[in-house]
Amino acid sequence: MTIKYNSQKIAQNFYTFAVLLFLLQAVVGIIAAIQFIWPDFFILNFNTIRTIHINAMVVWLLAGMMGAAYYVVPEESETELWSEPLAKIQFYLTVVATLSVLLGYVWMGLDPQANKTVFGAGLLNEGREYIEAPRWADILIVASLLLFLLNCFMTVLKTRKWTGIQGTLLGGLVMLTVLYIPGMFYTRSMVADQYWWWWVLHLWVEGAWEVVAGALIAFMLMKLVGAERGVVEKWMYAEVCLVLFTGILGTGHHYYWIGTPPYWLWIGGVFSSLEPVPLLIMVWDALRTTRENRNIENRAGMYYITGHVIFTFVGAGIWGLIHTLPAVNKWTHGTQITTAHAHLAFYGAYVLLILSIIYTTLPAIRGIKVYNDSRAFKSFWLMTISMIFIALTITGAGIVQTIMERLMGLDYIAVKSGYNMWFWIFRAIFGAGFLIGTVVFVKDYFSLGKEQ
Amino acid sequence: MNSNKGIRNLFIYGGLFFFAVMAVLTYDTMQQLPHRAPEITDEVNAGKMVWHKYDCIGCHTILGNGSYFAPDLTKTAQRKPHEYLKNFLINPKIANPKATMPRLGITEEEAGKLVAFLDWISKVDTNGWPPKPILAAPAMVSTGELSAGQKIYQSLNCSECHTLNGIGGTMGPDLTHVGSRRDRVWLKGHFKDPQKYVPDSVMPLVIASDADIEQLTDYMLTLK
Ligand code: HEC
Ligand code: HEC
Ligand code: HEM
Ligand SMILES: [Fe+2]
Repeated sequence: MTIKYNSQKIAQNFYTFAVLLFLLQAVVGIIAAIQFIWPDFFILNFNTIRTIHINAMVVWLLAGMMGAAYYVVPEESETELWSEPLAKIQFYLTVVATLSVLLGYVWMGLDPQANKTVFGAGLLNEGREYIEAPRWADILIVASLLLFLLNCFMTVLKTRKWTGIQGTLLGGLVMLTVLYIPGMFYTRSMVADQYWWWWVLHLWVEGAWEVVAGALIAFMLMKLVGAERGVVEKWMYAEVCLVLFTGILGTGHHYYWIGTPPYWLWIGGVFSSLEPVPLLIMVWDALRTTRENRNIENRAGMYYITGHVIFTFVGAGIWGLIHTLPAVNKWTHGTQITTAHAHLAFYGAYVLLILSIIYTTLPAIRGIKVYNDSRAFKSFWLMTISMIFIALTITGAGIVQTIMERLMGLDYIAVKSGYNMWFWIFRAIFGAGFLIGTVVFVKDYFSLGKEQ
Repeated sequence: MNSNKGIRNLFIYGGLFFFAVMAVLTYDTMQQLPHRAPEITDEVNAGKMVWHKYDCIGCHTILGNGSYFAPDLTKTAQRKPHEYLKNFLINPKIANPKATMPRLGITEEEAGKLVAFLDWISKVDTNGWPPKPILAAPAMVSTGELSAGQKIYQSLNCSECHTLNGIGGTMGPDLTHVGSRRDRVWLKGHFKDPQKYVPDSVMPLVIASDADIEQLTDYMLTLK
């Protein structure tokens, strides 16, 4: 396995950055889990830790997608990247922006007053979950995304090979960039604030990112099992088509109780219930393709992608479906049920996606023929089993919370620090298991092809 | 590859179609929002900015969205006295010795703005969320007919801050055995002027007729 175009190597910079942030995410995740048991556990309060936990995730998943695109686009266009120096600049811009934002969070964590309000927005933290990054960082992030898109599009224009895969991939990436903008302005109404906030978050994970994932899955199936392009592209279109048809109006499942009109109960309920359909097609497509084509060179890549499609369906599809209807969501909204779904869905749909693309493309980037994949399997099972149990313990806590707080009217804190304590303890233990799996993966990432 | 043209176009134009529908619905929603909530005064807006400044959403949910580490604040301003909330925000531990919410350095002015913001949000029409706990009533009256004191306890919402037999809030002390700790004089005096008995107390004084206070005290004394 080798790469065809030297500039594809730039993908590795992004992967390395992604992998390090993944490790950071898992480490602070443990701190957050302990704070559920012991709130004063760390110098930084829970809010700062959680902000780092989820922001590190968003950035590393995006970095993984960018790396993947820098790998896929030259290959699909059959030419070198338009500008390698530009890609390098864009990479360092991303790193510098991310690290300065991170420093800002820590600073604010130590001294909340440091988050001064400048031009109507926080200097260090905007105080809106997932998109806490301050306005100046938003601008740097969008600039970085635009430079990245420019580089990809100029590459495509060199040879004008608009394959379905790269068209869809770039379409998803453009959609992702555009959808960052609704999160970048201030609204006086908290209702409107959350309304637009979901445009970013929901339309990312249940829209744009799914489109990117569809394209990457198609690409990987071709690479890994030599599937035929015409066929994988057809299924890819079917998937992303249904993702948009159900997912866009499916945003309504976040507009039931935030002060928006009641017609969203119907729109959100109907369309979001259909969202698991494309995810099921994805599973079927991947399993069928891999069964029909059995000449697998890269077993680790194959393993991760199979895990990815299955856990997307379980985490996003099933764990999403159970609380998406208004009649259920009325009781579960704002409880740990949401947290359980969020963990399983992000792990299945995006963490495993990026790890699959790394295992699929890294051997070629490093020019390795065969490699020992035992560590890849070990980390897969450590992380996956831990995540299943993390999700189950939080689901348990969510059921107890829904019954005791929402149905019986007990106090939030009484339920959280009394009845649910054992769930938090088990969650922290499985969290440690996950961290061990992550460390095994990180070690494997850095040593792949460099041993013997 | 051309055989996929049909479905590719369906993807592109279908996707754009659904975005257009979303845009229309968004327009309509934005038109309706002002009628579903009280007016946003400058003070409410200033409170929202303070909310963002301290990253309250990093621990709390509001309108059910946010972090799941601390109580949802959508209806708090309707359930707790505003004076108490202000004191709590400025220094949680003084208001509630068991509080784990950190002292963030919120000033008195900021606390006032935050409470105005919380008050605004508690009046937004949320299509009936959070729902009334349907199992709460049976759990409370499992012992049968309510005494006069119990009724007053319920009507004055004491359970927002106090726990009785595992049910209720945790801001104030658990009252399950209060009758064995305090006597009649203390209880009555404390109801009329909490600060006189407990310096820095943030328990709001009980506004009720003397007869009601008497019955409430009787009830407290049965809790042994
Ligand atoms: C580090 C986490 C954290 C942060 C940040 C935080 N809170 Fe809290 N808050 C809590 C916890 C936990 C409680 C529950 C009571 C307790 O244990 O202190 C609470 C309780 C409250 C209460 C009382 C709720 C009730 O129903 O009685 C209010 C009001 C409140 N917080 C408002 C805020 C506001 C406003 C901010 C931002 C300025 C904020 N909190 C920031 C953790 C936090
Ligand atoms: C806003 C929250 C709040 C509300 C509402 C509230 N309390 Fe309290 N209560 C407290 C706090 C805090 C304390 C502890 C400080 C003190 O003793 O004054 C307390 C203390 C008490 C005590 C003394 C307990 C002891 O063991 O020292 C009694 C009795 C009491 N409350 C009864 C009531 C009754 C009856 C009501 C309803 C009329 C009520 N409280 C409403 C917060 C509240
Ligand atoms: C594709 C990957 C998906 C990811 C990564 C994902 C992630 C998330 C996250 C992070 C939240 C919580 C946001 C917060 O912090 O408040 C959430 C909420 C939610 N998700 Fe998903 N999701 C996915 C797919 C789905 C699907 C397919 C469905 C429906 C079938 C769904 C249904 C829901 C619902 C109903 C909520 C709101 C819960 C509430 O607040 O009451 N999700 N999702
Ligand atoms: Fe969603």
